[in-house]
Amino acid sequence: MTILEAHNITKSFGSAKVLNRVSLSLEEGESLAIIGPSGGGKSTLLRCLNFLERMDTGRISVRGEVLYDSEVPGSEDGLREKRLHFGLVFQSFHLFPQYTALKNITLARELLVKKQPSYKDRKTELLEQIRSDGLALLEQVGLSAKKDAYPHELSGGQQQRVAIARALALNPDILCFDEPTSALDPELTGEVLRVIRSLAEKNTTMIIVTHEMQFARQVADKVVFLDDGAVLEYGVPQEVFEPPLSERMQRFLSHYTDQNL
Amino acid sequence: MGFWEVTNSLLSGFRSTCLMFALTLLIALPLGLIISFGSMSKFAPLRLLVKTFVWIIRGVPLMLQIMIVFYVPGLMGVSVLPRFSAVIIAFSVNYACYFSEIFRGGIESISRSQYEAGQVLGMTKTQVFFRVILLQVIKRITAPMSNEVITLVKDTALARVIMVEEILKTAENIMTKGIIWPLFYTGVFYLLFVGVLTLLFGCAEKKMSYFRT
Ligand SMILES: Nc1ncnc2c1ncn2[C@@H]1O[C@H](COP(=O)(O)OP(=O)(O)OP(=O)(O)O)[C@@H](O)[C@H]1O
Ligand SMILES: [Mg+2]
Repeated sequence: MTILEAHNITKSFGSAKVLNRVSLSLEEGESLAIIGPSGGGKSTLLRCLNFLERMDTGRISVRGEVLYDSEVPGSEDGLREKRLHFGLVFQSFHLFPQYTALKNITLARELLVKKQPSYKDRKTELLEQIRSDGLALLEQVGLSAKKDAYPHELSGGQQQRVAIARALALNPDILCFDEPTSALDPELTGEVLRVIRSLAEKNTTMIIVTHEMQFARQVADKVVFLDDGAVLEYGVPQEVFEPPLSERMQRFLSHYTDQNL
Repeated sequence: MGFWEVTNSLLSGFRSTCLMFALTLLIALPLGLIISFGSMSKFAPLRLLVKTFVWIIRGVPLMLQIMIVFYVPGLMGVSVLPRFSAVIIAFSVNYACYFSEIFRGGIESISRSQYEAGQVLGMTKTQVFFRVILLQVIKRITAPMSNEVITLVKDTALARVIMVEEILKTAENIMTKGIIWPLFYTGVFYLLFVGVLTLLFGCAEKKMSYFRT
């Protein structure tokens, strides 16, 4: 089943066109890798999907429901709820420094659950549920022992794993990653990639912007090559990475020769 | 007048000093936050208005502001405020403006990504501010705030320009009887008060040292 359809997304900053009629679709349980040169618009695309950036034109639907359509007035309404279809993991984690690892994961849900009509009667039960779900997520990313640690007490790789758990806590339909390992020392990228890989094995629907070509090739079901704001290649990894390569793709991949594609 | 007698009457002046200090803080802190929101508003006319107001309040001597609040209503034929209220109003507005700039600096120093991290988790702007941003701001502004708060302790002495009783004024009253040393003795009260505040701010900083921003 098609879970995400993004249609003709266009975005300019001033006179610079950063995304030019980008369309993509994603099946449930698939993971999509977005690769491409720096400045190609990868982050901007993710930010548009998460409504952190307002696209100039375009349409986004999830499970057939149109979340945003620039042609339809009033599309801005309820963006906050619509966001919950997506999760976003940032390049530099952005954990909340004053909260423990566990609280970072549970905070948003604790705030959301307050709006349930039954909240007052079932408060302790609901909060207990959120807490135990949070602990399960920490376990899933291998950080049970760090539940009471504050972000500054964690390594970059651990922080990023907490950030992944935090994004998972709200059960998004589509989990987006913006270069999740780019801010990490090389020896720490492995632990984060392992977590993402295990999510892929559980058929989590994901969009991963990455510079880890080998990882994209092995883990992603589909690959998008985004250059200059346009989709130049789109297909299964075999198609995208295997010759014959387009000239732009060849030039881009030549920077990664050491990575043993 | 003996030592204990002087101490006692200075203490009654000191009580007034403390009351002015406490009331001013109580009003100026929330007012400062509101003013800081105004000075960061996306609505340009409001922002300009607030910034002009802050400029005026910070640009005119506090002593003059106290006199304006007390005397000008009378000159315009409106009923005059009680002296003590006039002082509290002048202090509160003046300090709120200084606080607002500290708050603005603190709020703007928090990276946008903290807001975005909250937003993508479905939090409202208010939730993000109060649950994520505020404590980080408080931690960052503790040091500059301690400066302002300590200055306020000593600025309360300005109240005597409109004859409001406070410790320095009490000492001056005693001086008219030909005893001058109580005037210097007041310094001890100020020092002790500021000492306590310094300790409190130290505690607050320590309390917030469990995280880094
Ligand atoms: N807020 C902004 N204002 C102005 N220009 C922007 C803004 N955000 C991004 N850009 C520009 O848009 C273009 C695409 O940026 P984007 O961050 O999406 O690229 P990217 O593919 O993620 O690059 P990288 O691999 O370096 O992260 C760049 O030229 C950038 O300078
Ligand atoms: Mg980027």
